[in-house]
Amino acid sequence: MSAIADHLPSGLIEPKGMAFATKRKVFLVAMAVPVVAYVLVVGIWPLTQGIWYSLYDYNLIRPQRTKFAGIDNYIEIITDPVSRQALINTAIFTFGAVFFELLIGFALALALWRDDRFNRLALALILIPVTITPLVVGLIFKGLLAADYGMIGYFLAQWGLTDPRGLLADQHAALATLIFIDVWEWTPLVALILLAGLKALPSDILEAASVDGATGLQKLRIIVIPLMLPAVLLALILRTVDAFRVFDTVYVATGGGPGNATNTLMLHAVKQGLEFFNIGRASAIANLTLLIIALIAAGFALMIRHADRKANGK
Amino acid sequence: MSASYWFQTGRRAFLLIMLVFFLAPFLWLATTAYKPSSAIFSIPPTFAFSPTLDQFRTIFRLFDVWSLLRSSVLIATGSVILSLALGVPAGYALARSKSRYAMGIAYFLMAIRMIPSVAALIPFYLMMRDIGLLGSWMSVVLINSMLNSAFVTWLMFSYFRGLPPELEEAALTDGCTQFGAFFKVALPAVMAGIVACVLFCLMFSWNDFLYPMFLTRLDSKPLSVALLSAYGTKDITWGTLGALAHFSTIPIVVVILFLNRYFVQGLTKGIH
Repeated sequence: MSAIADHLPSGLIEPKGMAFATKRKVFLVAMAVPVVAYVLVVGIWPLTQGIWYSLYDYNLIRPQRTKFAGIDNYIEIITDPVSRQALINTAIFTFGAVFFELLIGFALALALWRDDRFNRLALALILIPVTITPLVVGLIFKGLLAADYGMIGYFLAQWGLTDPRGLLADQHAALATLIFIDVWEWTPLVALILLAGLKALPSDILEAASVDGATGLQKLRIIVIPLMLPAVLLALILRTVDAFRVFDTVYVATGGGPGNATNTLMLHAVKQGLEFFNIGRASAIANLTLLIIALIAAGFALMIRHADRKANGK
Repeated sequence: MSASYWFQTGRRAFLLIMLVFFLAPFLWLATTAYKPSSAIFSIPPTFAFSPTLDQFRTIFRLFDVWSLLRSSVLIATGSVILSLALGVPAGYALARSKSRYAMGIAYFLMAIRMIPSVAALIPFYLMMRDIGLLGSWMSVVLINSMLNSAFVTWLMFSYFRGLPPELEEAALTDGCTQFGAFFKVALPAVMAGIVACVLFCLMFSWNDFLYPMFLTRLDSKPLSVALLSAYGTKDITWGTLGALAHFSTIPIVVVILFLNRYFVQGLTKGIH
């Protein structure tokens, strides 16, 4: 298009401004096309393949015997007790982790609110857990909590506070321990998001409230929390989505055990797909997880839009 | 003493406790590298030890550390370059476009970030097997860049939108080419965003372990995968892990600590 326009005398077909507008459009489209094409080929195409696989009884160990299975793979997620438990574990893990991360993260954000040197340094240091390899996070806590030589686990076991084999080997405590690890890893990120929200609060309203004699707690309840709702929802959406697809830390800390006490959906999908090569089943689990995450994200996105409208005065 | 004095003291005390809570496990990992195995496996666990470099000798004996480091560096630089080459121009185009589809495409790319790794892994694994890239570090770059370039586009979209277009318009009127206006005028103004993008891509691809675990072979596996085998048997465990972490985990932590300003700015921009 632009090539033809280049060879025509300007002003003959369209005014010069129009020609430039067309050229501009072509240029911008050309700049954006590669990434969209790339994501479609490397991301979306395999995902649609995954939907296809999930409808087949497809196992790599016997590649000749793939037969159409309809939604059997999906039905099995509900009927199979191991899959069902993975779904329940994932839900408990997500809910527990996000709840405590939000609670502690909000307290941290309030403590870090004032912009002084101590707080700036504290914020930088407190973000370290977020930057550590998730795999290593799992290994660190596995080491610390080990009942035989662990700095923490040894004493907990000696004092009879935990199972003699350690927290991560305890059927009843392992999932809660994984929630604790996730809280350690991601609370700083939640604090950072909420802190950004706090700093964006209109300071004139807070000052006016102080002049009118509002106490700290009143300001928090009447001004801060309602105006912070969009930031809180943002932290919620981000953490819920990430916690729901947790893999690395759980994989190394417990591997889904003891038994299936900490088996999550992602772990279950990897085991089915890349250890047992049951591609159909693994794809079904992965797709279900993707669907749940999409629904959660869409739900939160609607809530954020609603909260934004409210915060900006209807 | 006034109430506000006690309030401030309480706030500092709370932050100090939180700092200890969030930093102690990391410091534990870093120090195990300098402990002799006897101190790591003493009963009861001890805090006192005489520092040694034995653990580092062990990892060089057990692992081909340079080969692991090479794979990690190849995967990380490959992902950073490909993701930025794809994402930065697209972020600019979407921010400057007046089309009503631009916003929709930006949101679509942001949503890519939420795909569970495993959902893409299985079909991607089969795809790589079919085209013969399975076992190569390049397959890891390809899939990492898919997630990263989408995120870079979204992040740069926010940065470019915050940049007034007048400067580029002036340059265009002066006869600058369209690419020149993007590359020479707009790009230098958003260097903070570029740094943030590099940090995120670097962190993601350096720390990633699910994809390389299944997509690479023995000779192309990166540090993150080797870490897992570092705690295999009892006599090597934690000290080896701590020593390996000096190559795998600690560099990233230090880089981000130093460039903290960009990291925080990028995080707050990218998630809004």
